[in-house]
Parts: sequence; C-alpha cells; structure tokens
Amino acid sequence: MITIENVSKQVENKWLLNDVSFKVDEGACIGLIGPNGAGKSTLMKLLSGLEEPTSGTVKVLGKEAGKWSVKKLAQKVSVLTQDGLSPYPMTVYDAVLMGRYPHLSFFQREGTEDYKRVENVLSMTGLDSFRNQMLDTLSGGERQRVAIAKAMVQEPEVLLLDEPTSYLDIGYQVNVLNLVKEWQNRDQLTVLMVLHDLNLAAQYCDQLVLMNNGEVIKQGTSEEIIEADTLQTVYQTKPEIIRHPKSNIPQILL
Amino acid sequence: MNNRLILSIAIPALLTTLLVVMSLAITVGAANINWQDVWLIVFAELPYIHQWIEPSWSDSTETIVLDIRMPRVILAAIVGAALALAGAIYQGVLRNPLADPFILGVSSGASFGAALVFAFGFQVVWLGKFTLPVVAFMFGFGTLMVVYFLARIGQKVRMETIILAGVVVQAFIGACLSLVMALANEQLQTIVFWMMGSLTLTDWSYNQIVLPIILICSIIALFYARELNMLGLGEEVAHHSGVSVEKTRFYLLILASIMTGAAVSVSGAIGFVGLVVPHIIRLIVGADYRLILPLSIFGGAIFLVGADTLARVLMAPRELPLGIITAFLGAPFFAYLLRRTKREYF
Repeated sequence: MITIENVSKQVENKWLLNDVSFKVDEGACIGLIGPNGAGKSTLMKLLSGLEEPTSGTVKVLGKEAGKWSVKKLAQKVSVLTQDGLSPYPMTVYDAVLMGRYPHLSFFQREGTEDYKRVENVLSMTGLDSFRNQMLDTLSGGERQRVAIAKAMVQEPEVLLLDEPTSYLDIGYQVNVLNLVKEWQNRDQLTVLMVLHDLNLAAQYCDQLVLMNNGEVIKQGTSEEIIEADTLQTVYQTKPEIIRHPKSNIPQILL
Repeated sequence: MNNRLILSIAIPALLTTLLVVMSLAITVGAANINWQDVWLIVFAELPYIHQWIEPSWSDSTETIVLDIRMPRVILAAIVGAALALAGAIYQGVLRNPLADPFILGVSSGASFGAALVFAFGFQVVWLGKFTLPVVAFMFGFGTLMVVYFLARIGQKVRMETIILAGVVVQAFIGACLSLVMALANEQLQTIVFWMMGSLTLTDWSYNQIVLPIILICSIIALFYARELNMLGLGEEVAHHSGVSVEKTRFYLLILASIMTGAAVSVSGAIGFVGLVVPHIIRLIVGADYRLILPLSIFGGAIFLVGADTLARVLMAPRELPLGIITAFLGAPFFAYLLRRTKREYF
C-alpha cells in the first residue's frame, strides 16, 4: 500500500529525513514514534502530497504521492492532523459532507447517495445529535471526532494520522483511537499514525517504526520496540517497562 | 434551515427588492416620472408584449427612461454586484476580514491608468471612447499580476505575503498616481472625481462590454463556493480533502480581479461596497459561501443602485461622488450590525 524507498528530504541546509525506507502492507496499522524533530511529520507531508522528497520515492498505492492529482489522492488517502478542523462557523453536517468532495466533479453537487453516506457515518461516530452545531462551538475532542467522520465519508483506502490525540484528554484519546480501530477492522483500512504517547502506540498499532534524527532506528512489534535500552538511546531517558495487566502489552512508566 | 430553502426564499425576495429599487431609481431625477410609466416603457420594448401596450407618455420621457436613466441604473447594479462578489471572494481566499476588491491593488492600478488617460488626453484610435475603461482594466489587471508574482515563493503564495505585496505595490502606484495628478493641473478635478467613483459617463455601450465579462466570471465563481468553504477549514484540510489549494486560489483571485477591473474601469474606484456587503450578508446568513456568494451579488446590486440614486438627487443638480455615499451609508450600518452580533462570524 505504502512504500517508502531511500527517502531523504532537505530543507535549506538541514536534512529532515535521511535515507528512510519501510513498507506498510494493506490492512496494517503502523505506528510512527520518535522524539520531536525525528522527521515523522515531514514523512506524513510527503505521503499526503503536500511536499516532495529531495531524493528517493514515496509511493502510495503503487504511484508516487506527488504524481497523483490532489483530488485523486484524496479519494484514496484521508489525513487527520493534530490541529484537525479549524473552529470555523460551519455546521458539523456540512463539514462531514465535505468528505465527499474528492468524489465529485467540479460542476457536480452532492446527491442522495452522498447524503446517505453522511447519515451513516454520523450515526456510527455518535455525532447525530451534533449535526446542526457549529464547529466553533465544539471542544477540541469533539472537533477531532468530526474530522474522523469527515475522513470516513471520504472512503479512503489509506488513513494517515499525524498526532491525532495530542491535544485531547484521556477520554477522547481512547475514544478517537477506538473509532479509528473499529473503522480499520470494518473496512480493511491501512493506517499509518504518528503518536507521541508510546503506551497508546503499543496498544493500538500492530507494528511500530522508531525514528530519530530523520532516520529509522528500528522497526518491529511493540515487544521489540518498547524496550528500555532502545528507548533510552532515542529519548535520552530510561523508562521503566511494565506489562499491561489485561493485554500483557509492554507499557512505559517514567 | 438548509441552504436550498434559504436561497429559495432569499433570492426571489432580493430580486424583487432589486427590481423595485431599480424602478424607483429610474423615477427620480430632474424630471419626475411615475413608476407605472417606467414599467410600461420597459414592457413596450419587449417582443410580443409590446402590442398590448398603448403609449401614453411623451417621447422625451421615453428617452430619459431608456437612454439616460436605465443604462445608468443597470450599470450601477452590475458594478455593485461585481464588487460585492469580488469582495466576498477576496475575503474567503485571503481569509482576512479586511480584504476588499482593492486590497491587491487592482483599483490603484486602474486609477493610475485612468489618470494617465485623463492627464495626457490620449486615445487609442481603434478603442475610441473605450480607451479609458480598457486602459484602466489593463493597468488594474497588470498590477494584480505584479503583486501575485512578487508574493510567489517557489510554487507557493502565502496569503500574508500577498497582502503585504499588495500594500507595497499600492504605495508605489499611489506615488505614481500623485505624480500624474501633480502634473495634470487642468484635469485634476476629473481625475479626483473618477477616483471617488461615479457612474456619470454611461450609456448602453458600457453595459454591453461589462455585463458579459462580469456575468461569466460570476457564474464560474459561484461554482467555487464549496472550495471557499474548505479553505475556511484550513489550508491543509482543504488539500487533504482534494482541493488544489494553489490553483484554486489563483483562479479565484483572477476571477475576482477581472470582475473588479471591469467594474472599476467603467465606474472608478467605488469603495466600501466590496468590503461591507459581503460582511452584512455573512452577519445575516453565516459563513457558508454557498449562501454568501449568490446573496452578495444581489446585496451589492441593491446597495449600489440605492447609493447612486442618492448621489444623483441629494444635492441635485450637483452630483456627489458615489464613493462618498457608499461610505456614508455603509459604515454606520456595518457598525450597527457589528455591535449587534454577539458571536464570531468570520
């Protein structure tokens, strides 16, 4: 689904990415972790076609991300960022309906099918009662849920999440990630997400890619990555690793 | 309330208001003409209908209505519609509530072009009396291009940069304009009057050149309402939703500037319409461009027809510059709405 081959990205004199390579298979859920400035967000920008790599290739569904037209790429790839939707005075319903945009031609207006999809998604995401509320009256967490609903209506094959839970309280963090996970299981969605919270990353992702200084340090399961010595080399602090009492997944304590 | 419902009520209502205001505008002036005659004269010009209408008015009344007041009133409606729509687009694209059709220098450029024509009295032979509008349009559009490419860094144009580029270019052109004015002693008053906006020099031919340009641009612009809404949600969100942000902005700025240029070229720089009308509409219907764009067209037309009528009659037989009236009317009304509104609307 996603192939990143020897990708480097230079901005002015700084190398943000340095010879990064990895793959994301169809239906996988990969977590991208690493300290600030590791190059995670840069990688996301390359994948969503916002920027081009200096060298190497970033392929999404077999084609270079920058070669897709913006609209075609949006039919295949949805992106959720930490800022999500801005608090613009627009109703939740209209914002979600915008997810249909990449599937419509310039002169085409939304039709019954599109409305049906929006209805479906609104009830799946529990946003039914919010439909007429303005985005600027919602909290950050609620807006992020609207952003997910909009991404769902887009019906992509790949979902990219760039720190989708950064500004959210623990309730919404779990809420948002559960929504993503349910969606992934339902539609065989391929997910690549940048997460700062290593415990969430370990719990929600099948595989983790650990990055530092623009390079991939290690790739593997949470068992292999969430490990005191590995994390110390990257984060300069040695965490305690314990097991989650229910899932037995490794978790960190500081 | 959903958009379709709002539009199906608002558009007929605004259209009726526009027709009423236009017919009233035609009735007032040095010679008073009653409004029934105005409508009868108009209907008598239409195919099929004319056979049922018995002329009961003098030839001079007909001339005043058809050849003097009507072209002017219609031009006021077209110019008002164009400026308001262009203002709404500029505000949406630049995401700046202070944006108006003149923010990127289109009107300064056009004024400079017009001042050159006035000051040096040249006329391009094959353009004849259209020399002034054509030269003004070219200068206005040329200025926008300079601003746009000044602001372009790599493939991208940042909206803050383009506003700054607009300020810089306007300052420079303002100086050029002042220079021309300083050199043009005799024509100074004409230039000043033109810069404040006026629809005095009108006949049907101006309508005929401006209407198609503005009509085509408006129709295309209306299809961009959805993209403008997405830009409101944020640049990156728009990109991720499938909007080619740079291209869309470029096209929208071009469309809005062609409309502005066309309007300014026949009427001078009429301020305030493009700033205030979209805001008034926004305060009433909210931030959805699927409503703001079509309603601004009507709002702008009504506003300017009304303002131009006042400009004609307030100090008759002297005519006031239209820009003064639009500011006198627009500013207090806008201030009132702004105070009344409690929520954020932009």
